[in-house]
Amino acid sequence: MDLKPANPNERRQYYREEWSVKDVPDFIRKSLIQREFGFDHMGRGPNDRYRVFQNIEYLRKFMRYRAPFAAYSSVAFYHKPRRRDGWIKAELVFDVDAKDIPLRSCGCANVCEICLGQAKEIVQGLVDTLSGDLGLSDIHIVYSGRGYHIRVQDDLVTRTDSDVRSQVLKYIVGSEVPRSEYSHDGMKYNLEHFTIPFAYPKVFTDRVKQAILSLDPSMELDGVNMKLIKDAIKHRRLLENDQWGIFRKNIGPQRYAKLVKGIASLNLTLVDAKVSIDLKRILRLPSSLHSGVSMKCTLIKNLESFDPFEDAVPNFVFERKD
Amino acid sequence: MVSISFLNPLSPEGKDIVRELGSFEAISQDIPELRNIVTHNPSQEIVDDDEIPSNYLELALKRMEWYIKKKNDRNFNARRYSFLADPAITKYDVISFYLLCQAIGVKFGPNSRENRVMVEAQGDLVQERLSKLHVDEARMMVEQSLQLLLADDRVHWTFFEELLSSRKIQLTDLILDQGELILDQEDFIQRFGPKIQHRNPLSMYQLLIGDELKEVIMVKLIMQATEDYIKQVNEKARIMVEPNPILLELADQLAEVLSEPMQRYGYGSNRGGGGPMKIGPLNPLAFPPCVKTAMEGIKSGGRNDAIVLFMTPFISYARLYPDVFRMNVTKRVSDQDPNLEIVENEILPLIYEAAENCQPPLFDDQPQEKVNINAKLGFGMHPSLKLEHEGETTWYTPMSCEKIKLHLPHLCKPDDVCKKIGNPLSYYNRMMWVLEHQENENSDDGEEDSNSGMGADSLSDVGMDSGDENLGEE
Repeated sequence: MDLKPANPNERRQYYREEWSVKDVPDFIRKSLIQREFGFDHMGRGPNDRYRVFQNIEYLRKFMRYRAPFAAYSSVAFYHKPRRRDGWIKAELVFDVDAKDIPLRSCGCANVCEICLGQAKEIVQGLVDTLSGDLGLSDIHIVYSGRGYHIRVQDDLVTRTDSDVRSQVLKYIVGSEVPRSEYSHDGMKYNLEHFTIPFAYPKVFTDRVKQAILSLDPSMELDGVNMKLIKDAIKHRRLLENDQWGIFRKNIGPQRYAKLVKGIASLNLTLVDAKVSIDLKRILRLPSSLHSGVSMKCTLIKNLESFDPFEDAVPNFVFERKD
Repeated sequence: MVSISFLNPLSPEGKDIVRELGSFEAISQDIPELRNIVTHNPSQEIVDDDEIPSNYLELALKRMEWYIKKKNDRNFNARRYSFLADPAITKYDVISFYLLCQAIGVKFGPNSRENRVMVEAQGDLVQERLSKLHVDEARMMVEQSLQLLLADDRVHWTFFEELLSSRKIQLTDLILDQGELILDQEDFIQRFGPKIQHRNPLSMYQLLIGDELKEVIMVKLIMQATEDYIKQVNEKARIMVEPNPILLELADQLAEVLSEPMQRYGYGSNRGGGGPMKIGPLNPLAFPPCVKTAMEGIKSGGRNDAIVLFMTPFISYARLYPDVFRMNVTKRVSDQDPNLEIVENEILPLIYEAAENCQPPLFDDQPQEKVNINAKLGFGMHPSLKLEHEGETTWYTPMSCEKIKLHLPHLCKPDDVCKKIGNPLSYYNRMMWVLEHQENENSDDGEEDSNSGMGADSLSDVGMDSGDENLGEE
């Protein structure tokens, strides 16, 4: 499918015929007056900001008549959203953009089914860790038009500061190599991450596995030479059956350490960290149109069965003549 | 049986000791029993009678002196402070702890170097005391302390929010399941036992959690509680009319204890030599790769962050106060540049040049960022730098490498020197030293400058966070 930008007529058609204010998720509608809204009317970035809607009807009218190029709302809740003042709390957000996935196997210029599929896999892993390890449950996944937003609403985390958020980020993406040296009663022991089938070492093992299975000979990793990447690719089928010990032995322990260190620093780019750390971010409004690619920003009910090319394509795309 | 308050003076037992003391009257009075305990300690080495603490205040200063000397003095002799690990001093030690916290709270406040040193010293002292106990007793003490510190058997990781925020612990170091921190052996085996193959779950528990993790968490919680208490004192002191003069005097003496190593060894440098670094013109050859890249201009997203949050603190500190992390003393720009001449003539032009090199040039579409640059230099949200506005905002310290990786990953292209440092400013100082050294070697007289700053990064080698908003984009 060709992801062409939407022209102003198509935008108007979408907001008048297809979009409904009911498509704006509950979690935004319920807190409407505490959020800041921002809009991009010309396709140059959201410069119409600090907007507040007193009720859902005003939002409906604005969207129908202005048919913005892009619409955003804040992840933060404010006492005075018009001034972005009186910060109360902010959703914890993770942004996985398909075009920025570090180990893209498709090599496309924008986004395509392959890298969007990869993004979906990454999102699934992140959500599993957020709910499994970190015990968070109020998690919404939104298709953003070029990737996915994970939006966590649990009260436990919405008042945390940027530093705590960055620690959560590093945990779920696996950006730190777990230590392998442990001691007990004065004796030192070595436990590699893949021998610990729970907690953070398990998260790290899963992310490393995902990365190695996506490796391509042309890819670059910090501190990892081409020969090592080729060797990792050569032996990676062992990881399909979780034969980590043999894989490490074949690669060599020191080279293995280099490989996982390179992957760890790469993992930090699985998500756009700035989005997670920023307590006053505005994020694309679910239900609105991503005019750059002519797709709907969509709240996902079931990630497994969600297909962006089925579920997030506005009607006007099918009516295009060219 | 050792009292919990020996490790945690803020425990209920510790508070009881303070209540028993009652008033401030007896604070300066001699305590023969304390002298007695010190002089009869079999490990104690006494070089001079003046070294024996005679009252609560002297004991308080000894606590800090121990930490400062241990950190900085190569000839540190632990036996001269053996009494600090003797549980017999508990009831005096607890009072001394409270006095220190209150003195720091009323005089210096929660963001001071004194506060930081106190918190670190308390953490080290707890570890020192644990190491001197029999292993079974230490284990029991840690268990009991944790029971008091953790509100519940089942603790959600967000309970440690403050510790995570101040980076006293890393989330990745905790063993978590369904959001809960797992510390208990039975709980561990019940949850993870079925998943563990080819290994004994019990021995895995001992390695992953055992004594080590529990001790770390306990120590960090005590450190955090100390920090919180000082903050509390400071808040109360603001609404009180007049702090007790004894506390103010103790605060002054404490400042002296802390300043001595700065003069003698350079606080936080963990090495001999030191003294303040020479301040001089910026040398772009010594810039780290991230600064060089930013100087060429940002051609992708994140222009605001790169110029306002990253370049402004780096350029200003590199030029005016390069050893901020080694000295651990907060300053204002005007402390280093009283007429703001250097800022106007050297610092701002360089920052503006980097902004101009961005694509599009930053001030073309976002001229308000000049105000944000002024704010990050400590001069409030104003379009021009005026001394009367100084202090309205904080002079931001340079971002750490870790923060750069998160905020501005495209800038971070580490070279070999980067691997040894945690902050671009440390890179700059190190390279300045190297360049100066090379110059000296090339010149005929070839003398080394022992005052050059090659100080290792201190624990505070971390930039402040962005409070700014970015435009939302995907």
